[in-house]
Order: sequence, then structure tokens, then C-alpha cells
Amino acid sequence: MNWWDDVMHRAVTEVVLVGALTGLIGVQVVVRRLSFFTMALTHATFPGVVAASIIGVNLLLGGVVTGAVVALGVAALTRRRGQDAAAATGVLVSGGFALGAALVAMQSGFSRDLSSFLVGSILTVSAFDLIVTAAVLAVVALVLLLCARPLLYAGFDPVGARASGIRASGWDVVLLLTIVLVVVTVVPAVGTILALSLIVAPAAAARLWSDRLPVATVLAIAFAITSGLAGLYVSSSWNVAAGASISLAATAALVLSWGLQRLGRIARGTRVRTVPA
Amino acid sequence: MIEPFTVPFMGRALTEIALLALICGPVSVFVFVRRLSFVSDALTHTVFPGVVVGFVAGGIEGLFTGALVAGVLTAVALTVLTRSARLTDDAATAVLLTAMFSIGVILVSRRTSYTSDLTAFLFGRLLTVTPRQIAETAVLSVVILVALALGARALLFRAFDPAGAAAAGLRIGWLDLGLNIMLALVVVAAVRAVGTILVVALLIIPAAAARMVTDRLVLMAVAGTGLVLAAGYLGLLLSWTASLRYGVALTSASAVVLMLVLAYLLLLPVRLWRDRRRPALPIPLPRRSPHELVG
Amino acid sequence: METAALRLAGVSVGYSGTPVVTGVDLELGPGQRLALVGPNGAGKSTLIKSVLGLADILDGEAIVLDRTPARARELTGYVPQTGNLDSDFPVSVRQVVMMGRYRRLGWWRPARAADRRAVTEALDRVGLADRAGMRFGLLSGGQRQRVLLARAIAARPRLLLLDEPFNGVDAVSQEAIVRVLRELSADGTALVLSTHDLAVARDLADLVCLINGRQWAVGGPGETLMAEPLRRAYGSSAIDLADGRMVLVDL
Repeated sequence: MNWWDDVMHRAVTEVVLVGALTGLIGVQVVVRRLSFFTMALTHATFPGVVAASIIGVNLLLGGVVTGAVVALGVAALTRRRGQDAAAATGVLVSGGFALGAALVAMQSGFSRDLSSFLVGSILTVSAFDLIVTAAVLAVVALVLLLCARPLLYAGFDPVGARASGIRASGWDVVLLLTIVLVVVTVVPAVGTILALSLIVAPAAAARLWSDRLPVATVLAIAFAITSGLAGLYVSSSWNVAAGASISLAATAALVLSWGLQRLGRIARGTRVRTVPA
Repeated sequence: MIEPFTVPFMGRALTEIALLALICGPVSVFVFVRRLSFVSDALTHTVFPGVVVGFVAGGIEGLFTGALVAGVLTAVALTVLTRSARLTDDAATAVLLTAMFSIGVILVSRRTSYTSDLTAFLFGRLLTVTPRQIAETAVLSVVILVALALGARALLFRAFDPAGAAAAGLRIGWLDLGLNIMLALVVVAAVRAVGTILVVALLIIPAAAARMVTDRLVLMAVAGTGLVLAAGYLGLLLSWTASLRYGVALTSASAVVLMLVLAYLLLLPVRLWRDRRRPALPIPLPRRSPHELVG
Repeated sequence: METAALRLAGVSVGYSGTPVVTGVDLELGPGQRLALVGPNGAGKSTLIKSVLGLADILDGEAIVLDRTPARARELTGYVPQTGNLDSDFPVSVRQVVMMGRYRRLGWWRPARAADRRAVTEALDRVGLADRAGMRFGLLSGGQRQRVLLARAIAARPRLLLLDEPFNGVDAVSQEAIVRVLRELSADGTALVLSTHDLAVARDLADLVCLINGRQWAVGGPGETLMAEPLRRAYGSSAIDLADGRMVLVDL
């Protein structure tokens, strides 16, 4: 298989797969206002990954375990007050990172692990990584497709959903765990910052263009993949960090969408829509 | 237990933490009440490009200015973005955070090795904090405490009843901007000494942990300050012991954060126990706060 | 003999073992309209939720359409308050009403003609057929309440429970809602609605139950919505004015 032997080819494939994955889950994250939670997850999986590498277990497994613990813990805490939820998430961000850093300090290679965690290393992705990403993409797509209805109802109106016999808290957990799966898969390839960027920015841009969930999802995937490819191109042409370029490309897509929408409204003479309180 | 702190650099480190405790106890109460955890976290990432540009442009001196400019820009951008519609607060914060951090990474990656810079940025150099930096932190603490004392009433009114505050003539936009800028100041000033990880912890954890034992804001601020002092002391002690006795290179910033998280976790059952004694009915929460999770 | 739609005997409801409302005794026949009246915080919402199986029945016996509350869910409809719903959520009016059919559809079965017809009929009844394609969040408070009502009736419930359906609702929407409720009860659907608006209760209800921490009175509006029972139920929230009138303070 000589096509896969080329670093750039693998990077391109990974970018496409990651774009599809983040675009898919991104709309759920944006619509349910889970951006901070996703950020916290990216930091929280860090100690799990480090611990796994120390113990000698598969890294993804370590990430999934700590990610799941965090997701369930925060979900349990947030049933109460909103202030506590935001604070708890904040605690997880700094705690998770400090714990991971502490674990890393116990071995050598401190700085290297840290920066690849933050920034990722898309150019060192292997064929195996690609297969894993593709598998996770299939699983997530299946879950979101099959469970679209209960997720929609539970997300929009948990009280009404419960009255209708849907276990809203159960479905919340399903969504959170799906996000954990995506984060754990994407972070090793592209780093925490870029993972967050690809999950949020394309989806936010897509939301500006459509009020319909399926359309927004397709758009988000398109934006994410395009940003990935554009970023890779810029990175290889001008010799700048790949992950950062992709992140900025995704941001540019959002800014452009916002600008075009704004112009469109001015052109049509409608006032800027504000969200009814 | 005291002996390590007679060593000058340890003593200075503890002094710096003590000053930060004074600032962050009260400030974290506002972060808690206004749910600004994500904004605080975002600020630590967005000052990164400012730090890089400042350093490249003006050396060590330029760092502070660069960070300050970036921080204030972020505060303004966030205040503006969250007042217009169509882009939710948390998405806007996330995108601003990642975009600016990416700019910083690009700027930095043009240089050859940036991993050690990154480490310093993340974890600070608590053990090499200079008397000059301590003095600067002291000045900052005075400024912040005075500003908070003057603005506390208005800020709290706005926090708990935005509609009422607006009706009473308070300018919500300016209040929000003011608080965001205050946060930016704290982040910028503290980042050099303690790094971004610890700054975020200092802004979020004290009030969150104090909330477990009290629901009175002033007590939360005082308890928060106390917690930071204790965590600072224990954390420094821990990293000192770890490196001298066991040869483990645990950064002091990590150690202090871990102590803070430990305090939070230990106090969690206290809250659950208190709630059991006065059973609270589940309040149907309006899910419109940007920092609110599911449910 | 038609069995009662709702029968509560000596019922106490609450959460996690803590009672919120005690001593509820009432019986509601099919097609009858019950209004739960009381100040804010009286426990009306909790009582409604307990009939849906969303709050605990701590004491007594609750029989809903001849079943336990949890089993009766497939035959009951619920109209919650709209205040807690996210205006940005990308969901259309039609999609919201279709949620009322999910119980029959389950997760994955595609909506059939019968379901689409039920949705259109429900929207027609509440007068919002022309807004079917709009995003839910763009509607006014009263319109949203009507959509939630349409959602509940799309499943053709035999018992319909409404939590403060007239809160923050404009006059047009209120009229539409009242009209639909009268039609429904004429068709045999039993109704339970909570309100702190005495005029609505007097106008609409066959049966009124005064609730404030416990049941203070139950009976026709003529017996219950009078000075004495109201004074007892509202307690310190009832203020007697010098000219013989009474003011109910609802904070």
C-alpha cells in the first residue's frame, strides 16, 4: 500500500476523517452549549493518557476511562445548581491538567509530551490511527442517527421528554460519553486546542446558516473538512504549525459566515435579530 | 515544616502566593457568581499571543505589555460578542480562545525550540519570582481590592438581577467589561509568576470550594483566601520534598493546584451533608446560561 | 359506569421523602375540568408532576385512568411552562408538535401519514398551522404555549395536565387555549390545570382544589372561590381591606 506510506497522504486522510467526526458531534456541542465541557474533557483526558502510557495500557483506553469518569461526575453535579456546574468544570480543567503534568513529571520527556498534547502531531499519524478514527466515526454516526429523536427531545425539553417516558438524564449521559469518545480520538492527532476549535467553530458557522439540525450537521462537516484541508495546505506551503493553521482556518470560516450573514441582513433591510429573553 | 521557607526563593514564592491569595479570594467569588470559569480559562489562553509578540518586540519587559494588550482585547471582544445574538456565549469564548492561542503557536513555532517557553508559560516560574515581581503583585492587589470594594455592590446587583440592575440605571455592558478587564489584569499579572494552569485554578477553585461550607459571599471570599494560602504552603512543601527527597521534578505550580483540587474534593461531602440536613427541592433551572451543562 | 380519570385519596407528594403537598383527596371524571389554585410555591406543579410519575407519591393512593401514574403516561398529555426552553434550539414548530407522537413512534420508525395528520390537526386546533415551519424560538410566549398544547394533544390523551398555561400569555393565545380546552373536555378528555388566576379558574373549571402546602378545599368554583376558603388557603398572603374586599398577595 504505497499511497498510505506518504506522510502527507495520511495527514490528509486523517484531516478528512477528523473533520467529519468533529463536524458531526460539533453541532450537538454547540446547540447544547457544551463547549466548556468539551474543553474540560480535553484537559481531563490528559492524566488518563499519561497514566495509560506509564502503566503500559492502550492510550485511548486510559483517555476513555478518565473522560468517562469526568463526564459522569460533572453530569451528576450539574443536576443541582448552574454555578456549581461551571465551577466544577473549571476545577476539572485545572485539576486534570495539573494531575497529568504531575504524572508526566514522574517520568522524563516532560516538555515534549505536554506540547504534543496541546498542539497535536497530525503529521505523525499512523495507518492504525486512521483505522481507529474511521471506526469511531462510524460508531458516532450510527449513534447520532439512530438516537436522533430521543436526543432531540431530551435536549430540547427534558421535563416534557420525561413526561413522555423518555429518560432524559440517561440520554444526556449517552451524549456526553459520545463526546468523550470523539475527544479521546481526536486529541492525540490534533491536540486539545485544535480539537476544541474543530468541534466548535465549524458547527457554530453552520448554525448561522441553518436552523435545521440535519442541514447544520452536513454544513458543519463540510466546513470542518474544508478548514482541515485549507489549514494543511497553508501549513505545508508556508511552513507554519499545521494544527494552528487548521484552527485559524476554521475560525476564518466562522468569521466569514458571520460577516456574510450580517451583510445579508443589512442588504435585506432587516434589523439584527436578538434572542428573545 | 518551616525550614524550607527560610530559603530565600521559597520564602519569596510563598509571599507571591499569599498576595495572589488576597486577590483571588474575592475575585473568584465573582467568577463563581457570574459563571465566568470559561472566560477565565479563555483569558489564560488568549494572552499567549500577546506574550509572544511582546517578548519578540520588547524582550522580557515587553512581555507584560503584550499580555496586557491581548488580555484587554479579549475582555472587550468577549463582552461585545456575548451581547449580540446568534453566536452563543460559550461558542464565542471557545472560538476566541482557540483562535488566539493558535496565533500564538504560529508565532512561536517560527522559532526553533519553543517547548521550554511553553512550559514556562503554562507553569510559570514560581521558584524564581523576583522581589520586583512581588512588588508588582502587591500593587496589583491593592488596585484590585480597591476596585472591588468600590464596585462590589453594583457588580453583585447585576449578577443576581440583571433586569433589575438595568432598570435601576446600571450600565450592564460597562460593568461586564469592567469585570472582564479586572480578570484580564489578574491573569496577566499572575501568569508570569505562576503560569496559566495555576492562575485558572486560583480564579475558579477558591470560591467553588468555599461554597461547599458557606453560602455567604463575604465568608466565601475569606475562606477562599485561606484555602489558597494553605494550598500554597502545602504545595510548595510538597514539591520541595518531592524534588529533594525523591528526585521527582514536580513543578510547584502543579503541586499547589493539586492541593486546591484536593481541598475541593474533600469539602464536597460537607456540602452534600449540609444539603441533606436542609433538603433542597430540585430547582428547574433555566438552561440559558452559557456555562451550564446538560440538565 | 365511567371510571374516574383521576382519583387521589389521602395523597402526599414530594421529592426524596420530603412532602410538598399533603392530604389531597379528589376525584375527576372524564371530560371534567379541575383547576388547582394556590399561590406560588404552593406545590401545584409538584402535584401535577406526581400524577405524571415525575414526583414521588409519599402517601395515599393515586389512580390515573385506572392505572398507576407511571403506567398511565402513555394516555396522559402534559403541557409544561415554556420559560425553561432554549430559544436558540434549532427545532421547528412542526418538530415540537411531532415530539408528542414519539411515544407511538419509538426511536426510529419514520413518521407516517397518520402522524403527520395528527400534527397538522393539532396545529390547526390551536391556530398556528401557518407557523409550522418556523423555528420554535421565534414565537411569542403565548404562541409557544399553544405549540406545547398542540404537542400534548397530538397524542390524543385522555387526561391532559397543564402547568400554569396562562402565565405570560397574551389575550389572543389565552382565548385560543381556553377554546381548545373546552373542546377537549366536550370530547371526553379530562383536564387538570394549575393557575393562580382566580378569574380563569372561575370561568373554566368544574372542580376547584385549593392547594397551599396541603389541600384546603375542593368543590365547585362557587363553593371554593369564596372569601372564607380562600383566606384559609392563602393564610398570611390574604389581606382584608377595610371596605370588605380581600387582596391575595402572590409573591
